[in-house]
Amino acid sequence: MIPKFITPKMLIIPIALGGLLTTAVVILVAIFLLRAWFSTPIQIFGFPGPPEQPIAFPHTAHVDIEGINCAFCHRNVTKGDAATILPVEGCLLCHSTVQGENAPPEVAKVIEHYNNNRPIDWKRVHRLPDHVQFSHEPHVRFLTEVQGLELEAACATCHGDVRDMVEVEQVRSLKMGDCVDCHRDNEVLTDNPDITDCTTCHY
Amino acid sequence: MAETKKWAMVIDLDRCTGCQACVVACQAENNIPINEEKDFLSRRAKQWIRIDRVWEGTWPNVKARFIPVLCQHCENAPCEPVCPVYATYHNSQGLNVQVYNRCVGTRYCANNCPYQVRFFNFHDPEWPDTFWNQLNPDVTVRSRGIMEKCTFCIQRIRRAERTIEGRDGGKVNDQSLKAGNYMPACVNACPTNTLTFGDINDPNSDVSRRARDPRHYKLLDHIGTSPSVIYLKKVDPNAPEEEAH
Repeated sequence: MIPKFITPKMLIIPIALGGLLTTAVVILVAIFLLRAWFSTPIQIFGFPGPPEQPIAFPHTAHVDIEGINCAFCHRNVTKGDAATILPVEGCLLCHSTVQGENAPPEVAKVIEHYNNNRPIDWKRVHRLPDHVQFSHEPHVRFLTEVQGLELEAACATCHGDVRDMVEVEQVRSLKMGDCVDCHRDNEVLTDNPDITDCTTCHY
Repeated sequence: MAETKKWAMVIDLDRCTGCQACVVACQAENNIPINEEKDFLSRRAKQWIRIDRVWEGTWPNVKARFIPVLCQHCENAPCEPVCPVYATYHNSQGLNVQVYNRCVGTRYCANNCPYQVRFFNFHDPEWPDTFWNQLNPDVTVRSRGIMEKCTFCIQRIRRAERTIEGRDGGKVNDQSLKAGNYMPACVNACPTNTLTFGDINDPNSDVSRRARDPRHYKLLDHIGTSPSVIYLKKVDPNAPEEEAH
């Protein structure tokens, strides 16, 4: 009980301090939780949208109109872990002749990069956390050989219709639930009991 | 898959010269931070495989004996039941694996490990700036607050599986995934073939052949952990029964 000689007026300051302290703690906890949630690669409330690339590369023009296969520029996608992008020399395979003279400004930038021996600093669109090990090659192999998809459809399984994207953006959450759903669904097809094992991706 | 695999290692102590090549190879393969003197003094040095040195005999007849000690991948692993978050468990290939993103860093497992082969990250790993470019991209860099240990280089097993699947048409079978297609970094680096790695469920594999050697024993076998790492006793040329030669 509060002793008689303490008037309610004297309690105002301690109560106010206690209130402030509680508020501060609540705010800190909220910040911690929000940061823990949002620092995962993808936000839950929609996707962050396409990043701004140093050169506007329209996949529509290259894939839809020109009909270039995904694996022509992303050469390693059927062979290795990372899909990779061609170096600037690779762009010049076509662009030394195609739209070489009177090049539109974006193609001129590519040629300038080539002439200056400067790589293009593409911004990454899809990013997995460091503790996830992902390799494109087995996934593409499964989708094309076991499920019988065309390469482009196989890529579209996770990356969406890049063919129709002027600016490439992420369409699937690519969080662990997303991965595990697919791995569970295809457990029988792969005939691999380890496909849902933690160490399939985490090591 | 015909039958399940069980990865195992045979360490022939008669061949070990204590050169520490396996230690260095492991350090490089698994992105282990550089152990400095202060780390050893504070007993926080991380060596997934280490060479224990044991002195034998009394002066002047002293011999140094070397025992490479790594995670024994016990069938009855004492580290597993104590983990509150199932960050460490046995997978179907007989590996005692550590899931870094599950680990919350209680350190119960390291305290319960009789072989002292689990290491805790008390700090974020640090390398000189240029060293960050030589890290192995296949292995997670463990951050502060989680436990790490030898994985029998599971990244190499996974890579071998992927390569073989791709080459042989979609199936890993016992014939294709065998010793020689893959090996842990320490086995790869060993100059004297002390270490052998393979599937002990396959009676024809190198590792089961060498495990049948009468010199075989397991570290701390009496406590019932039944390790997957099998040691072969050193042959002592000066042993009394050998003097007859």
